[in-house]
Amino acid sequence: MRILIVGDGKVGHTLAKSLTDEGHDVVIIDRDEDVLQHCEDTLDVLCIRGNGANAKTLIEADVAAADIVISATASDETNMLCCLVAKRLGARYTIARIRDPEYNESLTLLQRELGIDLTINPERATAMEISRLLRFPFASNIEPFAKGHVEMVEFRAQEKDSIIDWPLKQLAAHLPGIPRVLYAAVERDGEVFIPNGDFIIRAGDRVHVTGDMVTITNYFRFLGRDSLRVKKVMLLGGSRISYYLAKMIVPMGIHVSMIEIDPQKAAELSEALPHVDVILGDGTDQELLEQEALTDMDAFVCLCNRDEENLITGLYAARQGVPKVIVKNNRVFYEEILSDLGLDSMVSPKEITCDTILRYVRARVNGGGTAVERLYRLVDGKAEALEFIAREGDPYIGIPLKDLQMRRNVLVAVIVRGNKVIVPFGNNHIEAGDHVVIMASESGISDLNEVIHR
Amino acid sequence: MNIQLIFRLIGSILMIEGAAMTPSLLVSLYFGDGDAMAFVYTMLLLFAIGLPLWLLAKPRDTNLRAREGFLVVPLAWILLSFFGALPFMFSGMIPNFFDALFEAVSGFTTTGASIMTNVMNQPRGMMFWRSFTHWVGGMGVLVLTLAILPKMSGRTSHLVRAESPGPTLSKILPRMGDTAKVLYLIYGVLTAIMLGVLMLCGMNFYDASIHAMGTAGTGGFSNYAASIGAFNSPVIEWVVTAFMVLFGVNFALFYKLLRGDWRDVKNNEELRWFLCIFIGATLLIALIILPDYEGNFFTSLRYSAFQIATIVSTTGYSTADFNLWPIAARMLIFLLLFFGSCAGSTAGGMKICRIGMLCKQGLREVRRVFQPRKVQTVRFEGKAVDEAILHQVAVFACVYVILIILGAVLLSFNGLYDFETNFTAAVTCVSNVGPGLGAVGPAGSFAGYSAFSKIICCVLMLAGRLEIFPILALFHPAIWRK
Repeated sequence: MRILIVGDGKVGHTLAKSLTDEGHDVVIIDRDEDVLQHCEDTLDVLCIRGNGANAKTLIEADVAAADIVISATASDETNMLCCLVAKRLGARYTIARIRDPEYNESLTLLQRELGIDLTINPERATAMEISRLLRFPFASNIEPFAKGHVEMVEFRAQEKDSIIDWPLKQLAAHLPGIPRVLYAAVERDGEVFIPNGDFIIRAGDRVHVTGDMVTITNYFRFLGRDSLRVKKVMLLGGSRISYYLAKMIVPMGIHVSMIEIDPQKAAELSEALPHVDVILGDGTDQELLEQEALTDMDAFVCLCNRDEENLITGLYAARQGVPKVIVKNNRVFYEEILSDLGLDSMVSPKEITCDTILRYVRARVNGGGTAVERLYRLVDGKAEALEFIAREGDPYIGIPLKDLQMRRNVLVAVIVRGNKVIVPFGNNHIEAGDHVVIMASESGISDLNEVIHR
Repeated sequence: MNIQLIFRLIGSILMIEGAAMTPSLLVSLYFGDGDAMAFVYTMLLLFAIGLPLWLLAKPRDTNLRAREGFLVVPLAWILLSFFGALPFMFSGMIPNFFDALFEAVSGFTTTGASIMTNVMNQPRGMMFWRSFTHWVGGMGVLVLTLAILPKMSGRTSHLVRAESPGPTLSKILPRMGDTAKVLYLIYGVLTAIMLGVLMLCGMNFYDASIHAMGTAGTGGFSNYAASIGAFNSPVIEWVVTAFMVLFGVNFALFYKLLRGDWRDVKNNEELRWFLCIFIGATLLIALIILPDYEGNFFTSLRYSAFQIATIVSTTGYSTADFNLWPIAARMLIFLLLFFGSCAGSTAGGMKICRIGMLCKQGLREVRRVFQPRKVQTVRFEGKAVDEAILHQVAVFACVYVILIILGAVLLSFNGLYDFETNFTAAVTCVSNVGPGLGAVGPAGSFAGYSAFSKIICCVLMLAGRLEIFPILALFHPAIWRK
């Protein structure tokens, strides 16, 4: 497909890289010559200099032949205008990043009137992810599948966990009563393994398990990890994410204190969020953190604009014994180092935005194929969890999994039939209409038929 | 430095060269002039070296960075020329190694300068290969590699940047591989059309293919001593003139034309400059040489147009010995030796768009003298040109001229020939034209130069074809450092 990306920022660049790797033709529009030069040097894309909201530039980029236009410039207004013009000039689908909370309220109207097919609010999406983590603090990452029926939960295996040092197939015999979850993927030393029955989990591994919520909760209760309930949260930085997050978690009965350094912003926040303790001060100041009783907090969320401040303050909080520390960090390559230092829960608005857009693009790749319903990328895209809906008439329907040919390094993780969640074994089969979640240690799968044959 | 990746690329390029000898091998088998084994030996050698390199090199990181790109391209060109020279030696057509190397470099760089004093009655497979190097070298060997081979590296822009002519890289499709395919497709179709037209004009298939390849690559090797003049046919001369100009046009414009963007082509500033220079110089010289052709304007126009087309497109065919023309005409031709054609074409020279930008930059400086506070942007193709590019163009022009002067000085160590010959020989090598003035004029050859001078010429030709910096980079110690 031909994809036009307007704005070569963090998100634009990551998207361009992923999309070219998946075999799409990518054209990038940006106003900055230096940015384009870098882009041309590192990616196999066509670069055009100009304003993406200008019809002339869009025509130069041959927008009429574009299947998807993604507008991810710094300005919401430019993104909206760009999508509007692109749609009028013949682009098939348009995607805009719109992040201002003010537009958020009239989003549906805007979307319809401007002909935007997908809008993404990275901050809001990030806030949602954080709120999930706060509800289930034992996990360092949670990803919902099949409309929330299934969750994929990531946690770090520890020395005291009973599941370590045993082959997975012997776990049930060794630990009677362990709830049956599926071990979907294990990250070890920056590599991703899709485990089979002989796989042995070691302390320090980051384990991804899937199952329905009740089973997962029981599983962590079995491991003795469910003691923590988050009731008090401290947010560092009064950014947009903080605003959305506070709006989401205050109604859940969680007490929120928010530290903001800018007096005017602090005043605005305190006006907009009546139930939140807005504290004016420098969040990196240890004195202030202690004064605001950091050690009494159940969770500490670092959401400053500067990643470095988030990381350092997050490390400090973890050292002080705050049970759950979540850090916003857009630079994924630090993740390994930080995970060794004890910062497990990392959220990246950039990654979340890219995943959302990639999922949308893949769903439109082959109109006839099984659309990707949900996509989740692990460790900078080294493995992926994908959700499909099985279609009537596909060749794998009704055949027990053990009789099907499966591509290497692909695993059927969960089958959801109606409200029933099936952790599949060899005798289970897929029926039409099932939501199927698969794990793959390669990228670019856009159809179930690609990986499962008779 | 990623040596494994470099080895792998070089290996694949050597194998492509081996494969590229197939048409010549077939030609020599067909005519049976006894030169077939020379190709077989060279091809075996190329595969014996290329295949292990390609198979054994296992690059862990396939990202080609600027350093590797600018190392691979000149190295590849040097190796190509070296192996391209071997058939000439093996067949005994050009027994001396330096002569054969000169001929191969001149072929691949589409210069068309020759050390052969007798081109008639030579093995026909060899002559075909000599012209085939023009065709491959014209559009570029790495571009061909990208068009043929599946994606080897995520970053190929450095390869193409080092090889394709012009100040900026112009992609016509989002993917480099697709761009390379489209370019070669247009190139191949245009060459085939020219071949057909030449045959309609009465040439036989062999002669037509030699001259079509020589014109398409803007090279200029012919299998007749009198070049195109040997056919003594005004129709053929006009056809070749038209195609020489056509191959001097940016290939991206042909693509736009195919897509129906007629307006873009019409408004292309570089094309306008190019045509103006061509038509202006043709008319001017036609008037200057009018007395030489007994006042017959059409004859003088015919000779003038052909000679100017051959110089500006840097082809190097000839129908008249312009050495014998009046001094004004010769000086004009000397000036045009520097210019070349459009960026993104198969021609050499400094490229018209650089000349245009230089002129505009010059005018800007003139204006700055009396209106120093005026903020001035240089525009080309209707767009403001980035200062970094302007700077690059100015530096390129300086280095271009310095290289020519240095080359001329080194050529003069030979002790032979006069100022005019040595100087225009350096210009014609760097600009990849072919003939110069004096002893290296259309009727002469480079055969008289010593081995040392021939090596100098080879360096100049390669430097000109790759637009200087990739070749100069090879001489910079830092590029070899680990």
